[in-house]
Amino acid sequence: MEILKYLRKDSRFRQKIHKKIFLDNLRIMGKQPYQTLKKKPITYKGISPILLTLIIILLGYTVYHNYITLQGEKTLVSSVIESNNSEVHSQIQAPHVQRDSLKFLSPMVNPEISIAKVFGLKVKRIMIDPGHGGSDPGTSGIIGTKEKNVALDIAKRLKSRLERYNYEVIMTRQEDEAVSLQKRVELANSSMADLFISIHLNYLPTRPANIIETYYFGLSFDEEVLKLAEKENTDSPYGHSEFKKILEKVNSTMKYEESYRLADSIQRSLFTNIKRIDSEVMDFGIKRAPFVVLLGVEMPSVLVEVSCLSNKVEELRLNTWNYREKIAHYIEIGILNYLRNKGALTHEAKRTEEG
Amino acid sequence: MKQKEQRKDDILFVGVDLGTSRSSISASNGTKKWNESYVGWPKDFIAAKVVGKSILFGSEALQNRLSLDLYRPLERGVIKEGIERNEEAVKELIGYLIQLAGPKEDQKIYAIVGVPADAMKVNQIAIKKAVSGFVDSVMVVSAPFAAAYGLNLLGNSLIIDIGAGTVDFCMMHGTIPDNDDQKAILTAGDYIDEQLFSYLIEKYPNSRFNRNMVRQFKETHSFVGDSSETIKVEIPVEGKPLNHDITNEMRRACESILPAIIETTSEMIAKFDPEFQIKIKNNIILSGGGSKIRGIDNYIKDALKEFGDCDVRCVEDPLFVVSDGAMLLAKDIPEKYWAEM
Repeated sequence: MEILKYLRKDSRFRQKIHKKIFLDNLRIMGKQPYQTLKKKPITYKGISPILLTLIIILLGYTVYHNYITLQGEKTLVSSVIESNNSEVHSQIQAPHVQRDSLKFLSPMVNPEISIAKVFGLKVKRIMIDPGHGGSDPGTSGIIGTKEKNVALDIAKRLKSRLERYNYEVIMTRQEDEAVSLQKRVELANSSMADLFISIHLNYLPTRPANIIETYYFGLSFDEEVLKLAEKENTDSPYGHSEFKKILEKVNSTMKYEESYRLADSIQRSLFTNIKRIDSEVMDFGIKRAPFVVLLGVEMPSVLVEVSCLSNKVEELRLNTWNYREKIAHYIEIGILNYLRNKGALTHEAKRTEEG
Repeated sequence: MKQKEQRKDDILFVGVDLGTSRSSISASNGTKKWNESYVGWPKDFIAAKVVGKSILFGSEALQNRLSLDLYRPLERGVIKEGIERNEEAVKELIGYLIQLAGPKEDQKIYAIVGVPADAMKVNQIAIKKAVSGFVDSVMVVSAPFAAAYGLNLLGNSLIIDIGAGTVDFCMMHGTIPDNDDQKAILTAGDYIDEQLFSYLIEKYPNSRFNRNMVRQFKETHSFVGDSSETIKVEIPVEGKPLNHDITNEMRRACESILPAIIETTSEMIAKFDPEFQIKIKNNIILSGGGSKIRGIDNYIKDALKEFGDCDVRCVEDPLFVVSDGAMLLAKDIPEKYWAEM
């Protein structure tokens, strides 16, 4: 009797294993179980918990929507009133994950339907912009690691990864040289790139944390973001009239929504995978920011703060090629996921993704 | 019952272990084969005439390496990136292994491939893609888990698979292992080769040897701990073969991977429910080529003494433990799942 019990238990356990392996493998291929797991006919009894869950979600959504709308207005007002209170705001705020903000902040944009997808716009050319360079080292870590060098190395690795899928990948700089922000913008626009990805590293003077965040083109009222933008825009040569013209482009809905999607995809991939290496890494999410380099370029553009040089352990990791390769790999996954979702994956890339 | 028997006849189930150094295949028809993970194409038409084949595999490829563009296409259990031909080499290697399994004409083949515990999705996809051209349906599983399945060690055990590229750990505790139960470290067999190579260069600067010879020394003489035997190998010096004593260098090189293994083992056991820690400690299984290092089980056992008594054992057939387990798993997985892959 005991043996029979054991055998039954063992058999159930093995069945669970088989199902898990099957589902894992389907997930790898990005598929959903088709028939195998659809067995039970739908009954009222079976459907009632689903109905209940849906009602709860609907109620929650309404409450959340009202809350966000109120919060948005409050933040806008308070950011103007408290703009002089810099001491308080110089501390880094709690993670500001803004994944769903598009739904609430831009009623024109329907996150489910992309204009680029509707018109079947393809991506052929990708421009990678390693931040800083030459006389502008960007930020530096405690043991002297420079942002310009790490950003360039990751950018090169990302370039060769993306080229495997037959994308034409161009870089704003190939060496340790100074390239002005205006030049970077000109390069991107004149080369008719379809995507623009700028790679930077963060520095948190007040906290030893490691954070990942991604910015996309847009205006922001967040003081910390504005400060960072001021820092990254230091060598901007634009005059007022030129800058006004650039700002007018902010209304380009397609660029806005595609930048948002790209930023979201890269941030998700980068954070989820880095979390496996550094369990304490913080997800600061995606944010809008008025970086000149993002505003000026005419294609969907993002600025990824891939890591944080003020964190000593992270700085040591960044000094290994293996870790930099991993970062490039995770950005690559983010880009490919974005392209797949918008139906713009090239034939070669699709084949690789689908196996 | 009849249907089941018929199904088994119709389909050849294979388990594949793609190793950085060696790859093996176990098939449901009883065939078990292994091959060194080398693939070579003749460099030019003269080389093609000399070797007499359009493609060579394993030791044959190694022996003729001067005439070949030689590839060792796997790194840490996944396809090495950066060189386009590596993907082609992996495909050829898999095709060759499946051919060695001897499927009948028009027989369906269902395959399970063991991949490192922490293989990324893109690497898993690449492996699946490489295999899919030769089989009707393919799935991937973590290699140490496949070993545990084959050894029927599904509850309270720790499998340590010491390969060339990675050492994979898999904690089994009566449930399906998740990411926290599995870990891979990179100081493995290849690291021993590098260490041994540098120690020998330092000790015998005038002797002529290469990495392949060093790997062969390791495979024949590797050991850890105390040994009364002296290891002497023949290495040419100015063209004359001379005996060299490499005992200390061999020990140092082999022991160089142990601190990381011991640290990871104790770390994995420590984070486990204390009630079951004793059971796990008494069920530590070493597999993979590295488990053939003489004295490695006792060394690890001694090093873990401070955590209480434990039992460390080596599997009998380390070369096939993953492929055997993967093949058993392939046989056990219901047809409906295979059909939908």
